[in-house]
Amino acid sequence: MERQVIYSTEPEDFYYMDINVPCQAACPAATNIPAYIRCLFEENYGRSYDINQVANILPGVLGRICSRPCEDKCRHGEPELGRPVNICHIKRAAADFRQKAPLSKKGPFASLGKAVAVIGAGPAGLAAAHDLCTIGFSVTLYEALEKAGGMLRYGIPEFRLPRPILDAEIQTIQDMGALIKTGVRIGNDLAVGDLLRDYDAVLLAAGCYRSIPLSIPGEALPGVYMGLEFMMDVCQGRPPVLGDRVLVIGAGFTAFDCARSALRHGAADVTICLRRTEEDLVVTRDEVLEAKKEGVKIESLMLSRRIEGDKKIEGVSFVRTRPGEVRADGKREVTAIEGSDFVVPADTVIVAVGQRPEPIDIMGEKVGEGLPAADKNALRASVKGLYMAGDYVSGPSTVIEAIGMGRRAAERIAQDLTGRRFREKVVRLEDAEITDRQRTWDYLPRQEMPTVQPAEDRFGAPHSEVETGLSFEQAKEEAKRCYLCYLHYEIDISRCIYCRYCIDVAPRDCIKLVHEVKTNEMGAITGFVETTRWEDVNAIVIDNSRCIRCGECMRVCPVDCISVTKIELMERVVQEGKTHES
Amino acid sequence: MNHRDHFIVIGNGPAGNQAALTLGEKAPEALITLISKNHGSCYRPHLLPDYIAGKIPEHSLYVCPVDTYKERGVRLRSGQTVVGLNPREKELILDHKEIVRFSGLVIALGGKPRIPEPMLVFRDLMFTLKTLEDAKVWIEKLSHVDSVMMIGGDLTSLAVTKALLSLDKKVTFMLNEDAFWPLRCDGALFDEVSRRLEDRGVEVLARQRIRSIARLAQHRYDIEVNGRKIQAGMIGAFFGLVPDIRFLAGCGLRIDRGILVDEYLNSGFEGIYATGDCAQVYHPELRDYWVSIGHNNAVNLGRLAAMNLVGGRIRAEVAKERLFDIQGIKINTSWWTEF
Repeated sequence: MERQVIYSTEPEDFYYMDINVPCQAACPAATNIPAYIRCLFEENYGRSYDINQVANILPGVLGRICSRPCEDKCRHGEPELGRPVNICHIKRAAADFRQKAPLSKKGPFASLGKAVAVIGAGPAGLAAAHDLCTIGFSVTLYEALEKAGGMLRYGIPEFRLPRPILDAEIQTIQDMGALIKTGVRIGNDLAVGDLLRDYDAVLLAAGCYRSIPLSIPGEALPGVYMGLEFMMDVCQGRPPVLGDRVLVIGAGFTAFDCARSALRHGAADVTICLRRTEEDLVVTRDEVLEAKKEGVKIESLMLSRRIEGDKKIEGVSFVRTRPGEVRADGKREVTAIEGSDFVVPADTVIVAVGQRPEPIDIMGEKVGEGLPAADKNALRASVKGLYMAGDYVSGPSTVIEAIGMGRRAAERIAQDLTGRRFREKVVRLEDAEITDRQRTWDYLPRQEMPTVQPAEDRFGAPHSEVETGLSFEQAKEEAKRCYLCYLHYEIDISRCIYCRYCIDVAPRDCIKLVHEVKTNEMGAITGFVETTRWEDVNAIVIDNSRCIRCGECMRVCPVDCISVTKIELMERVVQEGKTHES
Repeated sequence: MNHRDHFIVIGNGPAGNQAALTLGEKAPEALITLISKNHGSCYRPHLLPDYIAGKIPEHSLYVCPVDTYKERGVRLRSGQTVVGLNPREKELILDHKEIVRFSGLVIALGGKPRIPEPMLVFRDLMFTLKTLEDAKVWIEKLSHVDSVMMIGGDLTSLAVTKALLSLDKKVTFMLNEDAFWPLRCDGALFDEVSRRLEDRGVEVLARQRIRSIARLAQHRYDIEVNGRKIQAGMIGAFFGLVPDIRFLAGCGLRIDRGILVDEYLNSGFEGIYATGDCAQVYHPELRDYWVSIGHNNAVNLGRLAAMNLVGGRIRAEVAKERLFDIQGIKINTSWWTEF
């Protein structure tokens, strides 16, 4: 029997995806995570890679360094369900094990005869260039530094992201037609105005390359380094001279990269100093663990007040802090405890508390320190033809956020220049069958990424990759753990005999006797009014936001009134009135 | 129907046990539940080294018979593990997916043995000592070996070393700067500990790193230290305890090394207190945080948390006569002075 497939653009279906497939909803690039995990389980590594590549452009890179917002939302990580699926490293496995097939150099669209300049060949710029190339634009990227990659190449150490991986995925974008001109600093070598004259549109995605100082006394002492500059020097093979005792002040990925790099370049004792707590860190648990394995110490609840020393650093004065409430931006408030001063001895201090964009000489409306004003939703600047994306707009963000924004900017440029849409997000619904997932798989332990051990072996080859990759078997075992939340289980109440066997076998409170189904203005289900009074029961429903897709309900149903639908958020190509999946 | 308070204590170590019994005494009208992942009654963990040495029998480890809980109005739910907390809704989630609601909560989870991250690769080859079950493993293993390598240097390790020496075991002690974690051990203290150990006939390997550990037979290990191979029948890992609070991550409580609480042991949520080894207490006079180590301190803090939960306003004071002070960081302990 032919399976029915429906493509929906109804708001209620997008709402459903947001609630019920939390990993994909959390991904700034909306990667179809259950689909690529399932492909990997089926040992279809190429397809698994391709599903990633369609959404996040750089799977091999992100499989190593993604900040993994998906894992924070993974249903398997809910309190009584264990630990999240190791989504990121499954992505890497797909990249590691796929057959490197030659890439089609053409997208589905003919040339549009229009040209776009992209300033900055970092994640946002590369993602935008990729998408623009696939829909027929001619794209030239202008990169100020010697090579393309932006922060991926100049901010992330090689032991976390081997350069051949980065080079290969950048080459893929070049193979699609993107021209990359390196060593061209816009503002010095070329003016933005020149680009606006020569191209149909210009996308400013120049990243954040100006370090934010602590602005405390002593910061000008020799031996104080800004985190980004430190990492750029390390990444270009000229690490600064370090003392034995290094304090890294900061809490982000750059701070951790600085600390781990410092140990590889001569420091004997490295401590990361946090204003908040280790619990409040946004870096991944794996990153914290590997840093600690290498000997990095982490001290918390301390606010730097002064770098001590006359002609050289002797230490840093701190005060204790007290943590407060979590702010709207997700960061916890801290207040300094006056009178709680203490000094931590140090020879070198690395300040890694943030970066901001560098102003570019440009006409139009300005904000802050002379940065062009941008409509953060439309990603347009006030100057016609100028668009902005990535960290240059948002401030320092993650690679996956920058990629997501770069792709949105590409879509915006394409629409503005052609008056038409090339891709659209749709919800694809397809009749499905119960999977071969077994209940026992819900209890499998998370497969952790193997690393070089003991940690001191890493220092002999400071650029060698620390994470060695999941084996075939490990990757498949980890893929088994995914609940496949893109499967939607539903009871046909017109056929249900209310035997409640399904409720008896459900492993959690996911099947409910309800008096009322609550919906919002879109018609999407937002909740249920449950009842324990039999005479008040109007329906029996599966709450897919609680369901772990074990299929037990379906197996016991005596009247086969439970069905499965595969519901996926995906992109569809819109081409001259026709559509097909991208 | 009258509302009946439900006070829950998580953890049946010295602090939790005392908190539950105090609640039974101070709030007899309330429902009091003591949830513990261990089975049976509370025991005195600080006596485990003496138990290993054969100086005391098992029954003398126990604080009270199980019947005491019933007599004191405390419902004991042993062998059950809390895996989640919603402090706003005042709900606990147990590992068998039961949701338990409470009106007041004392978190007294204690600690679990810490293995420093660089040593994690050797975790399965080392023995720790936290529970009575651990102590029984030590007793069984010690019956087959005549030498023990002690790695780390926390306060328990000193007591265990005494026990091993009393059993005529050869002890090699690897002492490094991680001793007394989470504190930084200064040179003077380090030297003093080394001297005291050597005075008792212990070979001290100071400031050396383990390169590898190989298990050659059931009771024979090769430990490579700075190019030298040392053989031992058993390896003990003593790097202090870390609060056993991983499951509280992201629940809304403020967590650093332990659960951050004010001087009244309150977590910042009404009716939710943390006490004992899992609490990191702010002290307004020190203008700093302090942690408690040791049985007596745990008992005192357990009592105090319970008193404050039922309306008291008693401040947790640092016991100055037993203050262990390293580089200005203070630990309140009743153990250190005994060695």
